[in-house]
Amino acid sequence: MGDRSVFERADFLSRRRARILPFLGVIYIAQQASYLTMAPGPAHRTVDQLKISAWLVLSAILLAALATNGFWLQPREVRSMIDDEVARSNRSDAMRFGFVFAMLTCIAVYLITMFEPVAGRDAVHVVMSDGLGAALLRWGWLERAAHRNG
Amino acid sequence: MAERLANCLKEKRAALGLTQAELAERVGVTRKTVNTVENGIFTPSATLALKLAVALNVPVEQLFWIER
Repeated sequence: MGDRSVFERADFLSRRRARILPFLGVIYIAQQASYLTMAPGPAHRTVDQLKISAWLVLSAILLAALATNGFWLQPREVRSMIDDEVARSNRSDAMRFGFVFAMLTCIAVYLITMFEPVAGRDAVHVVMSDGLGAALLRWGWLERAAHRNG
Repeated sequence: MAERLANCLKEKRAALGLTQAELAERVGVTRKTVNTVENGIFTPSATLALKLAVALNVPVEQLFWIER
């Protein structure tokens, strides 16, 4: 990739992101199955604590990528070209979609608490996973659509 | 009635013998941005519309117009 111009490199990375994002969203959401199968209650085993920590780190990285466009190790001019008008518009749309999805999940969790108690950490986990997962899937969908019919 | 920003980007680009990638490089965006503008999926900002017009050497009002 060293001989490529800034434009070629940005285009290559943008296409690769469009291919990867939907899978990343699905994997992220599927990963929540392991959280749901953990022993209930606040006293989780060490292995469960590790799983939660891994989820938290992954969520923070994905959130940062969504908020800043990612590609932190790329030169500034490449990052700037990848984050052009369409990319910014797609990211904004994805964040709006994720926010609405997170709020809908909040409503669902609130309704559930009327019938059975939900731990604070569990509620946060579900809301954050749903919101971020929905935003990633939306982002991937929009990026793929933008690259189509070229 | 719904309004949309129509364009003849594809025709003007083809007339100059440019590919989407070549036009994108001239303007400083990725190819997908040119693709989405051409297909009417994305409405460009005034800045991008002017850059595209300059790159294709046509007045911006010949490149974009409002369709009702």
